[in-house]
Order: sequence, then C-alpha cells, then structure tokens
Amino acid sequence: MSSGRGYFSGFLISTLLMLIATFLVSSHAAPPFGLLLVITVCAGISIIAQIYFLLHIDISEHNIWNTVSLVAFIPLFVLTIGLTWWMFSQLYLRTMPPMPGMH
Amino acid sequence: MSGHASNNPDPKTAVLWDTEYHGHDVISTRSLGFFMYLLSDGMLFATLFAAYGVLSYQHSYFGGPTPADFVKPWYTFSQTIALFLSVLAYGMGMTALKRRSRGGLINGLLGAFVLGALFLVLDVHDVMDLASHGITVATSGGTSAFIILTQVHAAHIFFGLLWILVMIYQVLRLGFTTDTVGRLLSLRMFWHFQAVIWVFVYIFVYLWGYMS
Repeated sequence: MSSGRGYFSGFLISTLLMLIATFLVSSHAAPPFGLLLVITVCAGISIIAQIYFLLHIDISEHNIWNTVSLVAFIPLFVLTIGLTWWMFSQLYLRTMPPMPGMH
Repeated sequence: MSGHASNNPDPKTAVLWDTEYHGHDVISTRSLGFFMYLLSDGMLFATLFAAYGVLSYQHSYFGGPTPADFVKPWYTFSQTIALFLSVLAYGMGMTALKRRSRGGLINGLLGAFVLGALFLVLDVHDVMDLASHGITVATSGGTSAFIILTQVHAAHIFFGLLWILVMIYQVLRLGFTTDTVGRLLSLRMFWHFQAVIWVFVYIFVYLWGYMS
C-alpha cells in the first residue's frame, strides 16, 4: 500500500542509479560495450524498484490482479520490440547496399 | 472479491446462496481497469521503441547528426530529477490522503504540478534548441524516431499536468468522494507509470544514443 517510506525508497534507488549511469556515460569511464551493459543493468534495477515501490506490483491479495496483468503483458512487450528489431536487422542485412562506415 | 463474515454458521439457518447483490468495490474495480489501460499505453511506447530501434542504425541518420552529436546527458539528467521529484511529491500527496489531510494532498498535487511543468519546460527548451541547430523530425529517420519517442512521453506528461489541475479543482470543490479518490488513485498510477517509462527513454534512447 502507499507509504511515504516506499515512495521515498523508489525515488532514492532510481535517482541514484540514473546518477551513476549518467556519470559513467559522460565520463566515458569504460569501453562502449561494457558501458551499454552497465547502464542497461542500472535501468533494469531501477525499473524493478519503481514497479515495486511506486506501482505496488506485489503478490498481496490487494494488488495480485495488477501483478497478473503486468506479467501477462510482458511477453507482448518483449515480442513487439524484439521481433521487430530482429525482422528489420535481417531485412537490412539482406537488402541494404554496403555503405562506408556501416557496422 | 468481497468477503463475508462467517463465524461458525448454524447449519439450520445458514444462507447457502447470496440472493442479493451487495455491490462491488468500485474503486478497486476501476483501479484494475485503469492499470490495464496503462499497460496498453505501455504497448504504445513499445511500438515507438520498436520504431526507434529499427531507425537508429548507422544508415538511419542519412549522414546527418546522430544522438551522439546532440544529446546532453547532464541536461537530460536534470529533467530526470525534476520528473522523479514530481513523482515523489505526488506520492507524498497520496499518503496525506490516507491521513484524510486535504491540505497535504493539495500540497502534493501542487508540488507534482510545478515539478512536472519544470520537466516540460526543460524538454521544450531542448527541442527548440535542437530545431535551431537544424535537427528536426525532417532531418532523418533516426532523428525523427528520436524526437517523436521523447515528445510522446512529454505529451503524456502534459496531459497528466492538465489532469492534476482538474483534480486540484475537484478536490477543492467536492472533497474526498468515491469518485475523486478513485480518480486520484488512477492519476497516481498514471504519474508513477510515466516515471517507469522515463527510465526506459532516458537509458535506452538518450544515454545509448549518446554512446553510439
């Protein structure tokens, strides 16, 4: 249920993680691939914290149906973004002419 | 999902079938419905992210400016702070609602409004700054996807701010009724959901774009 402590915890965790991510990116602290991984992990933890503290997604009797709805939707999100990305990357591979500087 | 009190019913007089409809919990029914709307809103963002994902290749920028050229991480971080503080203010308003404190709720709503408006001001300034450098939705597919995705989120914030104003008016006029409290709960879910979406936008669009 909504509580001042819960909202403040969610705020603190996500702000700190965004601060870390911004600092790492702007100071170019590591090679790009490692940085992308680290900030993705920051995003992941921050999102889980916000979903739990802010949206009250838990398995209490009061919130269980919200949790079920979210869990049922997640495969849809994954498919929408992942399948689209895969389709187009395959398309580009097969149809784009070689261009200078293309990876 | 309502429970009946039943301690040791007498078999001779126990009621086996509920012949009357006692009504359902209006607020929790509407809250679930609104949460499912928010999930469909998440689908909207998923499609926008999918579009941005396929339009952020090297060739999508048509040789023109890429996010690595125009993203300012610390500036966008200030937007992040404004939005997260706004979300926190709204949460504090809701805990005041639990204490039946109308003043506390209004303060939370006002704080959420001011900070959300700050977020919008920063965002609009950023977009206008981009436009002044010739970076618009017409510049390339990549910049178009970038601007549309970030501005659709900003549009959500804009309409959320309008909703906050409406709720301030309704609470001042009607007080805490089933309808107004239910709407405040829905607005809370909407506002907090924007913070979750913003994490996705900030990391995967702004910061990833800056890196590539």
